[in-house]
Amino acid sequence: MSSLDASLAPPPLPAEAALGRWSSWSDRLNPILVREVQQAVKGRMFAAAILIALGVTVMIAVYIASNHDPNGNSGQGAFEAGLATLVPLALFVVPMQAYQSMRLELRSGIVEQLLLSRLRPVQILSGKLQAALVQFVLFVAVVAPTLATSYLLRGVDLPTIATSLALAGLACIAATMLAVSSAAQSRNAATQALANIGTAFGLGVGTFSVVGLVLSGEFTNGLAALLRSGEFWRVASGVVVVVGYGSLLAALSARAFLLHAFENKATPFRVALFAAPLLGCVWASLAFWRMGAAPVIAALCFGLLLLSLAFGLFFVTEQRELSPRVRAHVPATSLLALLTAPLLPGRDRGLLCFLLFVVINSVVAMLAVNAIGAGAWGGSWNSFRDIYCFTAGYGCIYLGIGRALRQRLPNTLGGNHAGRILLPMCVMAFMLVPVLIDVFVHGAPRQWHWGHVMNPFWTITHFERWTGSGAGPSPTGVPLVFLLMVVGMVLLQLPACLHGVREVLAASAARRQRQLPVVAPPSPSPSA
Amino acid sequence: MTTPLLEVQNLCRSYGKVQAVRDLSFTMHRGQITGFVGPNGAGKTTTMRIAATLDVPDSGDVTIDGVSVLVEPRAARALIGYMSDQFHPYPNLDVLEYLDFFARANGLLGEQRARTVRSVASFCGLLGFADRPATGLSKGMGQRLHLAKTLLHDPQLLILDEPASGLDPRARIEFRNLLKELAAAGKAILISSHILPELGEMCDSVVVVEKGRRIVSGSIADIEKTVQNDQVVVLRALGGTESLQRFLLTQPDVGQLVVDGDRVRFPFAADDEALADLLARAIGAGLRVVEFGRGAVDLEDIFLKTTKGNLQ
Repeated sequence: MSSLDASLAPPPLPAEAALGRWSSWSDRLNPILVREVQQAVKGRMFAAAILIALGVTVMIAVYIASNHDPNGNSGQGAFEAGLATLVPLALFVVPMQAYQSMRLELRSGIVEQLLLSRLRPVQILSGKLQAALVQFVLFVAVVAPTLATSYLLRGVDLPTIATSLALAGLACIAATMLAVSSAAQSRNAATQALANIGTAFGLGVGTFSVVGLVLSGEFTNGLAALLRSGEFWRVASGVVVVVGYGSLLAALSARAFLLHAFENKATPFRVALFAAPLLGCVWASLAFWRMGAAPVIAALCFGLLLLSLAFGLFFVTEQRELSPRVRAHVPATSLLALLTAPLLPGRDRGLLCFLLFVVINSVVAMLAVNAIGAGAWGGSWNSFRDIYCFTAGYGCIYLGIGRALRQRLPNTLGGNHAGRILLPMCVMAFMLVPVLIDVFVHGAPRQWHWGHVMNPFWTITHFERWTGSGAGPSPTGVPLVFLLMVVGMVLLQLPACLHGVREVLAASAARRQRQLPVVAPPSPSPSA
Repeated sequence: MTTPLLEVQNLCRSYGKVQAVRDLSFTMHRGQITGFVGPNGAGKTTTMRIAATLDVPDSGDVTIDGVSVLVEPRAARALIGYMSDQFHPYPNLDVLEYLDFFARANGLLGEQRARTVRSVASFCGLLGFADRPATGLSKGMGQRLHLAKTLLHDPQLLILDEPASGLDPRARIEFRNLLKELAAAGKAILISSHILPELGEMCDSVVVVEKGRRIVSGSIADIEKTVQNDQVVVLRALGGTESLQRFLLTQPDVGQLVVDGDRVRFPFAADDEALADLLARAIGAGLRVVEFGRGAVDLEDIFLKTTKGNLQ
């Protein structure tokens, strides 16, 4: 038995020689990446995938050689065959390996050991992603000769090949992040089987669809046409922004499941929500600056409003109070604490956060609509304004109900989950019950009436139909009643929002109190 | 008195209607090995997981060297080495690669990492197994590897949940010696186990819990005094136990007799002088005494006396 003192460590072992080569240059790499590569090198799965890909590549090469027409454009066929080989590897094999790796760590409790180390959840997730990208690059290397040959055989140009590979890489990142996120979120046995089936099925369907698209020739032709048109950079940047944002949300979801229960899980989601309009506006302004970005920004704002409803469902069903950890780390400055309050966890602050987002997003959307003006599109954009306002109003009403509903559920994680299920059911009930009453009392569903005012789809459709044609019962009172409902709901929720802010300010004051230097009691005077 | 390294304060944790831990409090100091014992479902693992920042309490707190596991879980993790009752190594990694990975995960770089891995592997007796697959180790060697991984970041407090379960006697003795060395090096060790005689040999204090509540805690010697007012005496004489029993039944301060093979054990409710007189009277009565002494009250006795075996 020897000492634990590292300075008295025994001399290097023969087994360390192989490790030593790694150690010198892999110090700054993500430990998860290093470990996954070590495992992959020794594992059978990776070797089998490489060998199969190589086998397919050789078969393609033999087929091309045997059918080669020196005067034809056989390059496109070779390219499509090579790309169709790469797609299952990038969209299925690599993400599923990342998924299985995460599942193994969760199932066996290794992930707890990782979380007890200095690794943060973000590092664990980025390590998985980096390992997936290394595998992707290796798979690209395997099919690269086929792709290069396809260029030499003519029928496909370099930009098409490069863009296809970039898109494959992007798709691989997104699929891996979704797979890892799905694995991290299914921590209990009940959801694990669902996640296994869902992930494999989703990736499988996606892979088959893309392979079909590639082999049909539409992908190559469509991409080549896009590259020749002026739309390419708009589409490409749009795809990058959407995939990047989606991957970020998937990573944040996975991170939330790996973090300590008292860590702040909510703020990154809230920041991501507020960052979305900014990101959207910047992208739209850059991509559409010649054509006028206003319609794109307005449409983006509506999309983000719908997205914010999903965010809001989670925001208003969180635990109410700040955790001890978050409470201890709120900004010490009152002003900063006040400004950051909507971003901090808690359902009261969550509702405030949603309301603030709606206000900001709405201002941007309405400015964009006004910028469009009353040209040829004027009528459509007036309609857009109505739909936007109704959607935002219904969001405020239903999320207010959701917060109040969550308040009546037990103060446990189960209560949070129950709230997230009950609120959509509540929306369904508000839509179905008036219809059922119509059926049972009047024998059939009637036209829209005030009983359907909580049905967003029917009310909006009814209002739009009336403003469009003037037909049907006059809904002139609808906007007014609806406005009163929204204002009433917001006023009802205001005390809760204020409570959320007050809690943050109190925590901030407590922190300031802790930071005050301890003043020693005055020493007694000699005369005393 | 130095400040405690581990301080569990009024910990409560429930899972639905089952209250796993109820208002549990105890402390531990550096260099101390504390046995954490209780029947199945007593809340030992829950308490250990909360202390290891892997679970959160409904109320109460745990501090490690003054760092709250609820307020500063990351800082607390640097002070803790947690060894769960299950060990699942990564496939396709050998022992050295496994330790090297966790050393990297703990932020050790370059030569320092290599030295730490070597010294920890050497301390745990793993150097001879360095190039063996981590998944191919025996249970005993696997537990050593688990312990080695736990020691990589030089934690102040080791929380070991059933570390000796499934080990053969030799592996248990070797593991116990490792823990004693770690305690001698100043580390505090909180260890739960069902093998009580073994815990009794290495622990200097014990916390007994049942149904989530602390039943008794403190040094084993103090607890012995608390739970056992009368000293236990063991007597063996040539000629069988019948004559012994006849004699003892006539003596003052002798409690209920228990025949244990050719020995007779009994509680004796008087001081050492009376005990010496008893021996003299026994010899005077013609008993050929070959063994006369105090019977040790071990951890099993404490456990059986303090717990009721209630499950929840």
